[in-house]
Amino acid sequence: MLLKTKKLMKAFGGLKAINKVDFELPKNEIRGIIGPNGSGKSTFFNLVSGVYDADPGSYIEFDGHDITNEPPHKVGELGLARTFQLLRLYQDMSVINNVMSGYHTLVPYKFIDAVIGRKKIWDQEKVIKEEMMELLSFVGLADYAEMNASELSGGQRRLLVLARAIAGKPKLLMLDEPAAGLSPVNVDNLMKILMRLKEKYGLTLIIIEHILKVVMDTCSKVTVLDHGEKIAEGTPSQIKDDNAVIEAYLGKKMDDEEMRKALDV
Amino acid sequence: MEKFKEIIRQYPFLGFIIAFFILMAIPSIFFTDLYQSHLSSLIFINIIVAAGLNIVKGYCGQVTVGHVGLYAVGSYTAGCMFMYLGASLWITLPVAILVTGLFGVAFAIPSFRLEGPYLALATLGGGEAIRLFIENGEFFGSTYGISSISQPELFGITFDTPDKYYYISMPIMLIAIYFSFSVLRSSIGRAFMAVREDPISAAASGINVKKHKMLAFILSAMFAGAAGAVYAHLPPGYIHPNNYTVIEMVTFLAMVVFGGLGHIWGGIIGAVIITIVYDLTRPLYEYQLFIFGLTIVLTILFMPKGIGGFIDKYFIDRRFKKKQGVASK
Amino acid sequence: MKKVKVIFSSLVFTASLLMSTIAQADNIKIGVSFRMLSDVGYKHGMLIEDTVKMWNSQGGINGKKIDLTLYNDECKSEKGVANATKLAYQDKVHVIIGSSCSSVTLPMVPVITKAGVPQIIPHSTSSKITMTGSEYIFRVPVSSRFYKIVQGKFTAEQQGKKIAYIYVPDQASMVFAKEMIKYMKDEYGVDPVYQVQAGEKETDFRSYLMKAKAANPDVIVLSGLVDETVRMLVQSYEVGIPKSVHRVANSVASKVEVPTNAGKAAVGVVYSAAFAASDTRPIAKKFVKMVKSKYGVTPGHDFSQMQDLLDMLKPALEQVNFTGNLAADRNAVRDSIAGIRNFTGLASGPISFCAAGSPECRDGNKTPVMIKYTRGGKNWKTAVAGTVTFKPSEGL
Repeated sequence: MLLKTKKLMKAFGGLKAINKVDFELPKNEIRGIIGPNGSGKSTFFNLVSGVYDADPGSYIEFDGHDITNEPPHKVGELGLARTFQLLRLYQDMSVINNVMSGYHTLVPYKFIDAVIGRKKIWDQEKVIKEEMMELLSFVGLADYAEMNASELSGGQRRLLVLARAIAGKPKLLMLDEPAAGLSPVNVDNLMKILMRLKEKYGLTLIIIEHILKVVMDTCSKVTVLDHGEKIAEGTPSQIKDDNAVIEAYLGKKMDDEEMRKALDV
Repeated sequence: MEKFKEIIRQYPFLGFIIAFFILMAIPSIFFTDLYQSHLSSLIFINIIVAAGLNIVKGYCGQVTVGHVGLYAVGSYTAGCMFMYLGASLWITLPVAILVTGLFGVAFAIPSFRLEGPYLALATLGGGEAIRLFIENGEFFGSTYGISSISQPELFGITFDTPDKYYYISMPIMLIAIYFSFSVLRSSIGRAFMAVREDPISAAASGINVKKHKMLAFILSAMFAGAAGAVYAHLPPGYIHPNNYTVIEMVTFLAMVVFGGLGHIWGGIIGAVIITIVYDLTRPLYEYQLFIFGLTIVLTILFMPKGIGGFIDKYFIDRRFKKKQGVASK
Repeated sequence: MKKVKVIFSSLVFTASLLMSTIAQADNIKIGVSFRMLSDVGYKHGMLIEDTVKMWNSQGGINGKKIDLTLYNDECKSEKGVANATKLAYQDKVHVIIGSSCSSVTLPMVPVITKAGVPQIIPHSTSSKITMTGSEYIFRVPVSSRFYKIVQGKFTAEQQGKKIAYIYVPDQASMVFAKEMIKYMKDEYGVDPVYQVQAGEKETDFRSYLMKAKAANPDVIVLSGLVDETVRMLVQSYEVGIPKSVHRVANSVASKVEVPTNAGKAAVGVVYSAAFAASDTRPIAKKFVKMVKSKYGVTPGHDFSQMQDLLDMLKPALEQVNFTGNLAADRNAVRDSIAGIRNFTGLASGPISFCAAGSPECRDGNKTPVMIKYTRGGKNWKTAVAGTVTFKPSEGL
């Protein structure tokens, strides 16, 4: 198992944002996490990536390491990358620097070498830059490398965030609503890039997404959260027919026709 | 030309050696009086402080208004070492750098919990506290100041006049710039920027935010310490707490803002221009502060990224247009 | 557009060239650096500018015009040193006037000594300045070494020996209090009943004053800058220190703001200075009237010292035969100033210099005057409590 949580819990005051969630994810899987608004999807990400501390009794394991309550940069160093719902781009940095800062944990040289400014560092920097340019051309942003990130369009920003997350060659990539606000064409484009990236870098993915079509098409398995609890898990087709899921989303049972419409499948 | 650029890029210190020889030659070619040497030394000192401030403020985005206190720590470490031990610049400079670096740790700690105006207030308090401590401390010469701090000797020459001291302050300035460039161009500089732009996102990329904030504060404190020591030994070798007030801090900040926050040349351009402009407007003393304030306001309004950002934008736009032109053809 | 730029820049270039040639004509150059931030600071600058303008309109000095260069040092040594260097090497002045703050004048001395430019001090009183032994420095005001004796003697013999001291961290204020403490210890063997250094820019001194009151002193010494002196005086009555306790201030008390702002609290304050506005000599009366009408304030001794400085500088310059050789001319100016003997102007006593670079020779005024406020408020009045003339070596 690449990622494993046991009795994961987080309460904000009286509200149980995540309640005793057991979660297991093997390597090379694409997992979707769905659920209505406020069901705890983003909180789950924040707990796993270390942004929030989990409540006592929780246990998170990543790639054989206990990462419960580890600070986010430690989790990042272990090879768990993520994107954010609000993107959190480095607005005032050039596109290439955005991506290169994602490479931070893999930089081979030491601090003292950098201060002294040894020649080998500039050679290594050159290699890193070339590698990152390759990544940028992969997502189609190579032409914009020297531009400020704030000058990019919405769709380009989402691609840049993706590139930045992949730059550190993570084992697991967690995407928080990667397609939010994109036009259908761009969503397709994004999905294609995502699939190619997975193949190229051998990624394991977790995707939170509101556009169910994305989840249903790309994920091999789907976990459903509601009110901080895991209510279902299974293949997309199993989930589609799960009564608990339908109730969570729509509050009542529907026939097949209504259901298709609602889920836009 | 392209080849030359490529060589410089490969061996960055070559550029500095060339700059060193050019700066060595400048006084004998262009300078007509000693004051120009004195002013140059002041410019070099300001460059060191501003380059350091650019690391913590421009790159790492930590609003510090206490930097002048660190500058004072550097000066007084050198001054006291001279007063009590008779040490020369060659000893006081490294000690001042180390001591000020330690003080930098103290300034970094509030930055873990505070940001923006709150951090500014905390560091302002720190800087002022240092000055008041010096002012009230008999050990530090209190308001008498420390006078006749010696000038360094090397190869039998005593660098005791402004024109000679130029050759002390200039190489130290170049070394400082070299270090600042090396750090800022490496992955550490990028990490600083990432911390400035978005600490949460930076942490998710595996960047230790606290460590880098600490690093930025210590590094920039070391720059301030070096500048302080160089200033303390500047002929006639006199330091007084009045030279480390909030007004000086605002001047240093103005240099960084005017030159371009977060631009690698930012502090340097700003320090050169502001020191020279300040000197040229000396006879207009009635309006000096007004001109000064106006410059800062206008810069922030019309060139939020300072001169450095302005130049950058021009070149990047041109390069981008070139590329687009090629693509459309 | 380009043409306009070219024309404009060439115009600027020629103009600046012309300016420099005009300045290069063999005029006598005087450089000034002092604190011109406060209201009164500006007025001192205006006084110099007006006086030099008048000299020029009267035909200059031996037919030579005078170029005046005024710089502000904001009471910061960094600026003061830069100003002195600039005046000495770039503006190539013959004589420098400055500065106000002792902490600025002190580092200027080695600079002007190395450059060989004579400098006359209008305001700084710290005894350390002339003790540097420079041959180029001259002081018009009374040195703090004389002030401490006159104040100490007067206080000990006429007011009492149980003394409480409150002083602020400003150099002159601190030196005044500390030198007086030392003098009382050395001469009379008494320690202060209470002494404290207040914080910088503090405005509420009542806690210190309460403690001073508890020590039950005969005399309370309040040494600060103008604002602080006013506050300490007013607050000393607020905490109920009785009128019978004598209040002593440093020479700052000669500034007009003190009696004006302190009002009744200024009555009875004794201070030593180099000039009293209540001086009845015709020359003093005329000067007070002139300053009042021209600059709108009653002059304290900082005004009179500036005026004295200019009045003695003019004849000294007139005696110099300017050759065009800068170094020689500067030395000639120095020697000419050093030749001033018994100059009687507005100051409380005659001002004399001599050739050696020692405090005996270069602390010009050796006659501080003890002054007492007899009325506070806008129409304040002073009375002279006594004057002493010291031997040149006294208090070293």
